Amino acid sequence: MQITKRVSYERDTKIINAASFTIEREDHTIGNIVRMQLHRDENVLFAGYKLPHPLKYKIIIRIHTTSQSSPMQAYNQAINDLDKELDHLKNAFEAELARHSGSQSRQY
Amino acid sequence: MEEEKTPKISVWNLPDVPKGKLPAHLELQRTRVICTPDAATNTENIRYSGAYASMGVDNSLRLGHFRDNFRVEVVRLTEDDMEFDMIGIDASLANAFRRILLAELPTMAIEKVLIANNTSVIQDEVLAHRLGLIPLKVDPRMFEYMSENDVPNEKNTIVFKLHSCCERGSSRIKVLSNELQWLPRGSELTVSTEKPAVDPTSRPRTYTSFNCSQDSLPEFSNNPIGPKHDDIIIAKLGPGQEIELEAHAVKGMGKTHAKWSPVATSWYRMLPEVVLLQEIEGEIAEELVKKCPVKVFDIEDIGKGRKRATVARPRSCTLCRECIRPDGKEKEKEQRIYWDKYVALRRVKDHFIFTIESTGALPPEMLFTEAVKILEDKCERVITELS
Repeated sequence: MQITKRVSYERDTKIINAASFTIEREDHTIGNIVRMQLHRDENVLFAGYKLPHPLKYKIIIRIHTTSQSSPMQAYNQAINDLDKELDHLKNAFEAELARHSGSQSRQY
Repeated sequence: MEEEKTPKISVWNLPDVPKGKLPAHLELQRTRVICTPDAATNTENIRYSGAYASMGVDNSLRLGHFRDNFRVEVVRLTEDDMEFDMIGIDASLANAFRRILLAELPTMAIEKVLIANNTSVIQDEVLAHRLGLIPLKVDPRMFEYMSENDVPNEKNTIVFKLHSCCERGSSRIKVLSNELQWLPRGSELTVSTEKPAVDPTSRPRTYTSFNCSQDSLPEFSNNPIGPKHDDIIIAKLGPGQEIELEAHAVKGMGKTHAKWSPVATSWYRMLPEVVLLQEIEGEIAEELVKKCPVKVFDIEDIGKGRKRATVARPRSCTLCRECIRPDGKEKEKEQRIYWDKYVALRRVKDHFIFTIESTGALPPEMLFTEAVKILEDKCERVITELS
C-alpha cells in the first residue's frame, strides 16, 4: 500500500488566506520546527500543528496569513529559510570541530 | 499635617524608553526561564513575530540575524562521546536533533538468527534478543536497507557465526562477544530442499547469496567487522552444553527497534545562570557555600577578614534548588532565612549544552553531522512533495 501523496493541501472555505497542510509520515520532529519558523514570519497570523492520533503517523499544519501573503507562500518561505539555517549550522559545527581538534592536537 | 507627596512628573517629562530595545524586565522574560523553589516558570518561547510590536522591537528572526548570533563551542570530544554548546537556536531545533539522533539514524544490528544447536539454559529467543542488542563496529553508510522481498547479498547483510561448546568435566564457561566470527563470504548453512541436487558439483544453496566476498571491499580488508566490545557476555554454558548459530545483521533505524539506535543516549540542557540578588557576606555566605552539592558557590576574601560569596561554577548547577529552598524546621523560627531573596536561579533559553554518547558504530561528531543532513532531507521532502 504505497502512499503516493506525501503532502496535501486544503484551503479553508470559510476564512480567506487560511489552509491546512496534511503531511504523511512525519511527527513532532518536523512539525514543531516548521511551526516555530512560521511564527517568525511577519505575515503569519496563526500557525499550529497537531498529530490527529498518536498511533497514526501524520501531522496537520494550519496556517492563516494576512492578505499580503498566502499560506502556500508562507510555508515555502519557512522551509527554505530552515534549509539555509541548517546549512549554516552544519558549517559552523564543522568549522568549530576542525578548530577544536586542531588546538587539541597541539597540546601535548 | 502634610503627608509626603510622591513627586508628580508630567507625561512629557518621563524618561524615554529606548525604542528598539526592550527594558530589562521584558528582556528577562523573553530570554530566561526562571526557576522558583516549586517549579520552573516562564518556560514558553515567545516566538511570535509581533510580540513586542508596541515597543517597536521586531521579534521576527531573519536569516542574517541567526547567522550573526549562532555559535557552536565544543567542550569535550573523545572517541565515544562529545559535549558541545549551541548558542542561538530554538528549543524545537535542539529537540529535533535529539529525536533524530535517537530514532532516525541508521545502524547495523543482528536481526535474523539461524540456530543449528542450542542445548544451553538460555532459551532460543532470549539468545536471539541478546545478540540483537550487541553494538557492531561498522559504518552503516556502506550498506543498503533490505526489505522483505530482497535477497540477502553482500550489500545489505553481514553474517556472523557463533560456535561454542563446553567440554564434559570442565567448569562453566562464559560465551563472550569476541567469539562471534565474521563470515565475509556469506552464510555457510545450506537450505534443505526436497529434490536431491541435480548437479552434484554445484555449490548447495545457502541462506544468503553473496556475489563476492565482503573481504575484497577496500573498507573491510583492513578493519574486519566485529562487535565494538569484546567482553560482552552472551551466555554461560555448563558442561556438555553447546551453542551453534549463524546471525545475519541488517540496516535499520531506532524507530523500529532500540537495538538500531546509534547513541547510548543523547541529551541536552539549557545553560544554568545563578545570580546573587544581594551582597552575601559573613556567616550567611559560608552557609550558602555549604548548601550546594556541586560547589557552584565560592568564598572570596574582601580584606579585613570579611568574606563574600560569589558564583564560581554556574555551569555545573544541576538545578537541585537546595540554595533557594527556604529554611525549615531545623532552625528556630526567627533565624530562618528565605533564600530566594538572595539567590536567583535561571536558565538561558537559547543556549543548549548537548551531550552525545555513541555506541561505537560512528564517532559522535559524524553522528551529529548525519543528523543535520537527515533533518535537511526531511525539510526537502516536506516541500517538494507538495503536489
